[in-house]
Amino acid sequence: MLHLWLSGIGGLLQARELMFLALGMAMGLFFGAIPGLGGATALALLTPLTYGLDPFTALALAGGVMGAVPMGGSITAILLNAPGSAPSAATCLDGHPLAQQGKAGLALGAAASANAIGGIIGTISVLAVLPIAKELVLLFGPPELFLLAVLGLIVVATASRGKMLRGLIAGVFGLMISFIGYNDVTGVLRFTAGVAYLWDGVHLVPALIGLFAVAEMINLSVKGGSITKDAKAVAITSMTSGLLETFRHWKTVVRGSLIGTVVGAIPGVGGTVASFLSYSLTVQASKDPESFGKGNIEGVIAPEAAINAKDCSCLIPTLAFGIPGGVEMAVFMGLLVLHGLQPGPLMLIDHQVEIYGLIWALTGSCVLASFLGLFLARPLSNLTLIDSKILVPTVMSVALVGSYAVDRNIGNVLVTAIFGILGYVMIRFDYPRLTMVIALVLGAAAERNFHQTTMMSDGNLSIYLHRNVCLVLLAGIAALLAAPLFRGWRMKQPPAAVTAGHPR
Amino acid sequence: MNDRVTRRSFFLTAGAAASLIAADSDYPGKNIDFIIPKAPGGGFDNLVRVIAPALEKYLPHKVNVVPDNIPAGGGGKGIGQLYRAKPDGYTIGAIDIPGSFILQERQGGAGFDLNKITWLCSMGKPEYFCLGVGANSPLKSLDDLRALSKTRPVKFTSSGPEGTAYGATVIGTKLLGIRTQLITGYKGSSDFVVGAIRGDGDAVVAPVTSLRPMLQSKTIRVLASFEPKGTFPGVPDAAALGKPELGQILLERLVGAPPGLPAGIKAILSSALNKAMADPQTVSLAKKFEVEMASSSPEQAMARIRENAAFFAKWKSSLMG
Repeated sequence: MLHLWLSGIGGLLQARELMFLALGMAMGLFFGAIPGLGGATALALLTPLTYGLDPFTALALAGGVMGAVPMGGSITAILLNAPGSAPSAATCLDGHPLAQQGKAGLALGAAASANAIGGIIGTISVLAVLPIAKELVLLFGPPELFLLAVLGLIVVATASRGKMLRGLIAGVFGLMISFIGYNDVTGVLRFTAGVAYLWDGVHLVPALIGLFAVAEMINLSVKGGSITKDAKAVAITSMTSGLLETFRHWKTVVRGSLIGTVVGAIPGVGGTVASFLSYSLTVQASKDPESFGKGNIEGVIAPEAAINAKDCSCLIPTLAFGIPGGVEMAVFMGLLVLHGLQPGPLMLIDHQVEIYGLIWALTGSCVLASFLGLFLARPLSNLTLIDSKILVPTVMSVALVGSYAVDRNIGNVLVTAIFGILGYVMIRFDYPRLTMVIALVLGAAAERNFHQTTMMSDGNLSIYLHRNVCLVLLAGIAALLAAPLFRGWRMKQPPAAVTAGHPR
Repeated sequence: MNDRVTRRSFFLTAGAAASLIAADSDYPGKNIDFIIPKAPGGGFDNLVRVIAPALEKYLPHKVNVVPDNIPAGGGGKGIGQLYRAKPDGYTIGAIDIPGSFILQERQGGAGFDLNKITWLCSMGKPEYFCLGVGANSPLKSLDDLRALSKTRPVKFTSSGPEGTAYGATVIGTKLLGIRTQLITGYKGSSDFVVGAIRGDGDAVVAPVTSLRPMLQSKTIRVLASFEPKGTFPGVPDAAALGKPELGQILLERLVGAPPGLPAGIKAILSSALNKAMADPQTVSLAKKFEVEMASSSPEQAMARIRENAAFFAKWKSSLMG
């Protein structure tokens, strides 16, 4: 095993491979930062150019891109509330409020270090489980995926803290939107109103760009001024402060990284679930849940650690069975195919050196991009001081062009505009956007997997009790539901009784 | 008078021909969209991605051929988009048969007519299907499946009701006398094959190319091959099963363009596609995915459409039930 790891590193430590890795990292950082572009577009553009390269070099380039995209995404999510890609939307929730308070540098520093540490933990986890990758992937069938979606949806309640009714309304609205389009199980089109664009539902990335970036820019243009008025706070930002915050919240980093690793390894789930689940569970575990959404640094660290850990582990279902976890992985599979590497069980046996080379490339790029992010934290923070008259039209243009670029569809621009207005209305009337996003991301998956589970068991719900992973997930759901009740009960107890450990 | 008319029509025709030739000689002047009405990651997607760079090599002018996955609506959206695109040679698409006939029939409003598409060529040789179970399944033979089907319907994992694999499962199991229930909704062949390995269903019917690598990695066991002459040692083929009709269940991948594509552009595209498929690098890459490349003319592609339409008509009631 060790010699394979070393062969992978050895292959990567060649001048040519390092050059392509650095090129990929630079492209990943840039494409990750532009809303709508993301890693999939970067890889799609690069894939034909790798035709003449040998497979290992092409993988170094691809690893460079994929490792750096999350850092790029964090930069715009924090500074402009414009997620570069869907998973980064979770970083907006607390990252941007920090930027508004003049603490963009702190948030960027924390995001960069959480990125790097998450990436490293993800790599270690993947190296540990790669020999049993097939078994791991096969643990998650439709019943497990349904319960995982339910776990995520329950978090809607957590995320609605303090405004439960509004949170539930936003969540239900998100679920309704997620049901638009073609039902894969029954082969029926629903709620499309004869519009072909809606056949595959409301596209997630344009919707998120609208809900966060456009809504924020509308809000800023109504308020006027700049994102933050606290120029002094921006000036004192140091890259080390964010780094220290990440180490101070090491439990959040480890939890996020493990959630990212596990969710990434589940076929077809994707990074958005990983980042939002990590965020929500961190809110749940926090002693001060009220501070989330208002600029809690843990709200930045949790999704960032998960996104990078996921990047490595989502290679498992992609390489082991050819099931991509998201669009970026799907395009990456195209690159593999072009180099004669067919994803599937045999790839884990026949191309181990290439796989380890790819994992090291991903990790190397992730760490390097994070360092770059740390150094850029302070100068980039100055973006938050730019006046809205310049910032709003610039960000709006980039957001709408980026939305079109997702799959070169003008319908995306319309979706971004509609969700932008919707997002602004939600900000204005204090409806939580998080609950709507969680429902939007998980609704269709929950429905499909429930249908499939029902077909598997002929409608017998006891199937959930006869599978080990399901039992673990059911226990997690029960714990999530019981936690607020338990907390409420504890708070009602006299302080002396609680401290004495005898609540009654 | 007659003379004058003849001369005039001659010049008109010559002018039109000259402008067509001029238009064709400029072709292609921009990137070509290669629509894949399937999710990324399956055999269909792999093949287009292997052919696209080689196609760029054989087109008269240097442009990019951009694979574009549009899997929505069971592929209906992608085919519809191809059908409605301008017939200028800048939009082509790969279409699977006979699944697309089911799609056309089910989604009556999908807005495409396979008989009117400009067919350019076949994409590789047609593929046969086979029936497999997960390596740990207690089902060891077709007889076990038949015995099970006497107690309850045998569950097969499959794509949505509009996929070619869905059609192959329905027709194949009917021919084999197995009572079937389909677990649908998987996104692409990799997904539903893994579903069967995982035990979501009892068995799976999938193209030979999808199951062979799984067999080699000992994650799946093939119980029956629909090939007329089997290539899996020790596995009964269509002849041995006494069901030669199984050999007619084929996955065909054809390349088409919107209706009304000018003849000159059609010839350029068809020739470049055939050269791309004969390119040594394409052949060697395709071989890794177990796909055998073969050239074919637009007329041969159209003939395959007619044959498949007849085959579909025969099984229509079972497939649409």
